[in-house]
Amino acid sequence: MDGLYLYCVRDKAEGDNIFPVKGIDGHGDVFTLSFCEFEAVVSAVSLQEFESEAIKIKAQEDLNWIKEKAVIHERVIEQAMTKGNRNLGLIPMGFGAIFKEEASLMETLDKKHEEIKQVLDNVRGKQEWGVKVYLNDKKFFEKNIKAKSDVIREKEREMALLPEGMAFFMEEELKEMIDKEKNNELNNITGFFFEVLKKYAIDSVKNKLLEKELTGISKPMVLNAAYLIPDEKKEEFTDEAERLKLEIKAEGFGLEYSGPWPAYNFTKF
Amino acid sequence: MVNGNNNDNVALVDVLDKVIEKGVVINGDIVIRVANIDLVYLGLRLILTSVSKLEEVSGKRMIGKEQEATPEDMAYLQKLQREIRKAEENIPKIIDASDPKKTEQGMAQLVLTLLELIRKLMEKEAYRRVKKGTLSSIEIQKLGLSLKAVQKKIKEVQAIFGIDDEDLNIDLGPLGNLM
Repeated sequence: MDGLYLYCVRDKAEGDNIFPVKGIDGHGDVFTLSFCEFEAVVSAVSLQEFESEAIKIKAQEDLNWIKEKAVIHERVIEQAMTKGNRNLGLIPMGFGAIFKEEASLMETLDKKHEEIKQVLDNVRGKQEWGVKVYLNDKKFFEKNIKAKSDVIREKEREMALLPEGMAFFMEEELKEMIDKEKNNELNNITGFFFEVLKKYAIDSVKNKLLEKELTGISKPMVLNAAYLIPDEKKEEFTDEAERLKLEIKAEGFGLEYSGPWPAYNFTKF
Repeated sequence: MVNGNNNDNVALVDVLDKVIEKGVVINGDIVIRVANIDLVYLGLRLILTSVSKLEEVSGKRMIGKEQEATPEDMAYLQKLQREIRKAEENIPKIIDASDPKKTEQGMAQLVLTLLELIRKLMEKEAYRRVKKGTLSSIEIQKLGLSLKAVQKKIKEVQAIFGIDDEDLNIDLGPLGNLM
């Protein structure tokens, strides 16, 4: 028996709804089901397969499986974002909601109709962009901090006059001082980056920083932001992001931006 | 999708970050539970819970000897077996006989990490005493030089084996880093 996997809810689009991508199981067709003025984007999945112990174990333990499925989930939603030249209002679902039958899916969506309508009104005509900043050149950044701070230079002068063994203990103090200054400066500067790009956004959010193990990038992430940008401001936003990227490269920061994403960060209900 | 970068991995991270953690949660009849899992520590967390579960399970055994294993117990035991098999597959990759150089480096990294931990603890204690003001300046001088010598020696061995400062740490998963 088949169930329905739900990807997203969007404005109803006229005409045939053929999706060139396959569903979460790798072979099921993706199609739409209408409700009120909206439609749900779904694909059929085998209940036998998705209710099985094996799938539960994979979802808990197999990072590669999760990655593969997350990519399919996202690809379907990306396809659903536009119809012809028209950008549709869309609410992306989180991974893994499956309904046993159409009736129970429709019942759930009808119950949430008011919330769905509100959220869609809020994100229609806007796009989400992600910005991540990494500290690429830590040494350079620290050197700059040392050069800027009077207290640190004073401490270094003091240390130079002490016997080596005694100076050793001051080195620790100095390291702590530099660390503190570094954190302050990082907060200030990433706060500044965040604000610069915010001026084109209707809404914005700072997300938690991702660990190196997950990013696969050896440099530490120092900013993980998402912006909700009106369609007509998109050029201005990406121009500004590109400009900022070049500008801060010289200061040892790497900026990466990506989009347009479905409004994952701005469609909570 | 436009990327302001050329790294495919970055895009994948974005997808995971968003699809798993940010999408709207709407409960269906079946919900595959990956949400709310900290993806990074997935593997290690599982090993830790398996170990604590194993203790529970074995403790239970001792109290009531005639008790049958519940399906839950069995599932955990199976999970443990899978972890063991996974580890068995991984060990040859870490200790690669065809690449003794790499094995040597791995061992050196572990030993140096523990040395560095001890050195840091010693240094902290020494620093506390210096601050208390109970040591004479010649004692401080001696202590400082000794600690510095140990520090330099560790750096030297690091250089020999090509180990970075950042490698001198152990990721304890949910507990954070060792240092």
